[in-house]
Amino acid sequence: MTLTTAPPPADGPVLLEVTPEFERAAARGDSRRGFLLSLPAYVYLVLFFAIPFGIVVVYSLATRNTIGGTDLAGWNLDSYRRLAEPIVRDILFRSVWIAVLTTLICLVVAYPFSYFIATRTPTIRNILLVFVMIPFWTNFLVRNYAWRVILGSDGPFAAVTEALGVGRQEILFTHSAVILGLVYGYLPFMVLPLYAAIERIDGSLIEAGRDLYASGAQTFRRVLLPLSMPGVLAGSILVFVPSLGAYVTPQILGGGKSTMLGSYIVVQFLTARNWPLGASLSFVLMTVMLTATLIYFRAGGRNL
Amino acid sequence: MPAAVPAVGLHSITKRFGDVIAVDSVDLEIADGEFFALLGPSGCGKTTTLRLIAGLEFPTTGSLRIFGDEVGTLPPNRRPVNTVFQNYALFPHMTAEENVAFGLRMRKTPKSEIEPRVRDAIALVHMEGMEQRRPDQLSGGQQQRVALARALVNSPKVLLLDEPLGALDLKLREAMQLELKALQREVGITFVFVTHDQGEALAMSDRIGVMDGGRLLQVGTPEEIYARPANRFVADFIGHANLLDGMVTGPDQVTLTNGITIAAPSDIQPGGRVAVSLRPEQAFLHSLGVAPGHHTSVDGRVEQVTYLGNALIYRVSFQWMHIDVRAENRPGRAPVSAGDEVTVSWEPSSVAVVQD
Repeated sequence: MTLTTAPPPADGPVLLEVTPEFERAAARGDSRRGFLLSLPAYVYLVLFFAIPFGIVVVYSLATRNTIGGTDLAGWNLDSYRRLAEPIVRDILFRSVWIAVLTTLICLVVAYPFSYFIATRTPTIRNILLVFVMIPFWTNFLVRNYAWRVILGSDGPFAAVTEALGVGRQEILFTHSAVILGLVYGYLPFMVLPLYAAIERIDGSLIEAGRDLYASGAQTFRRVLLPLSMPGVLAGSILVFVPSLGAYVTPQILGGGKSTMLGSYIVVQFLTARNWPLGASLSFVLMTVMLTATLIYFRAGGRNL
Repeated sequence: MPAAVPAVGLHSITKRFGDVIAVDSVDLEIADGEFFALLGPSGCGKTTTLRLIAGLEFPTTGSLRIFGDEVGTLPPNRRPVNTVFQNYALFPHMTAEENVAFGLRMRKTPKSEIEPRVRDAIALVHMEGMEQRRPDQLSGGQQQRVALARALVNSPKVLLLDEPLGALDLKLREAMQLELKALQREVGITFVFVTHDQGEALAMSDRIGVMDGGRLLQVGTPEEIYARPANRFVADFIGHANLLDGMVTGPDQVTLTNGITIAAPSDIQPGGRVAVSLRPEQAFLHSLGVAPGHHTSVDGRVEQVTYLGNALIYRVSFQWMHIDVRAENRPGRAPVSAGDEVTVSWEPSSVAVVQD
């Protein structure tokens, strides 16, 4: 677009001319700056995600040789075929089942709590959010060992259940202990996005629901829940994804019996020395996680 | 005033939030079919009063009746009233049509009945063709209409409106004032309307209740409130008023703090500290000494002239006090400017004597 057509008068003010070339140059400058600003992130992603992921894919297609090494030749899909074998399939299903259960329990526990936080005054809200974060001040591994002590046969958990009259319950090294540990570990990841989503909802919408003859339960189902869905989805993905790939918690609280996929993958790499199978399992796990994340962003999610 | 059972009856209603008294022993009856405005500055308790009627707050003490039924402890979904919220509070995840149908669905109205009623309500507010839009695809004025339809479709016995025009720009607000008034006449439902805009309250309501500090100061028709304010706050809050401090010194006579005595009819005993309220448009400006005989008049000097376009405001000082005089901007008006000596006059009946 040209702003001036007449030449400026000889001794008059100098008029600037915005030409199409100038605008194109400005747009080029903008996009170059954008690229430079995001370059560190791109480099990080390529170095620590794309390249390692490529290596995993390559190994999953390779062949295990007789001495437990891996020959990068004779490309085949054998390791993927083995995923259908009962032992692998059971671990896969069990991992998904434990992750789903963990996610659901986190959702049920976190929703009322998040609603409670979101409806407090800002001061109390911040104090409660700090409480949610406090466990992160201690190392995850240490906290898992703490649970091992709590759930152990001489631990307080058994004492409490005995005092309650349901007998000495020893759940250490069971699936229940793994789920308990996972819920404990990942609950904050459910609380925070739920809180963010609920806090954004205009309180007068809840009042409008009540005013329009909806009971408390109907208002929850028709107004609050649909409007907090981005938070429900974000929280569920943030809990489901790490639960599915969990290694430390099932190892410590599950008794190292390859309860979940993470432990099984480690066994393939370190003990069974079947790198192609470990790599193919890793690939499947990554694909499931990426798909879940992708679905979330496609649904217009913004709470991650 | 209300003859039959009042649509809304508040009796000694008090609402406390901790130590704060938001509504202070309010007694109020609103008649069936009335367009009633609760008017006051922000924080005066008008919105809390409306929320008490809606059931969004519960009174600390007092009795609250809707058409004779005690509803003070009922939740909002069990009261025969609906609310148009300040920012409309339309459900963002539903279309305009779904928003309007919400109340009927919650009350388990038969499907065959919902459809025609929703259609009628949308037609009532002239929103045909917008049924499938979501709130974020509607302008402020359109959202307002959907909010009205969403409330009216339920045929509430009382419609509560919380600053319904507050978010609209001036032109649209004026158009909606007329439309809302016409709509109320058409549906015949009692409207209780909260506003801080005195012009809006005067223009739209059958009666106005003026609130301040949680108390209901005066209830009356717009004319009564404007011409006979009950106290200094009401006189000052409604329209513009010259408030001249003084003391009652005799029957229908007030001596102002600057020593000038003027006629001012009132029932207040001599010795009472009062203010004389005089509306700027009810005072007249004359050349020095030529005021009509039956008028009260004072001589003074023009301090300032403010040009408003359709009118001018002359600030006239007399003995350390001043009076604003409003004159319509008509052709041939006398050229008065600052520094001129003038006489200000008014009909004795246009002043009101108010106390704090």
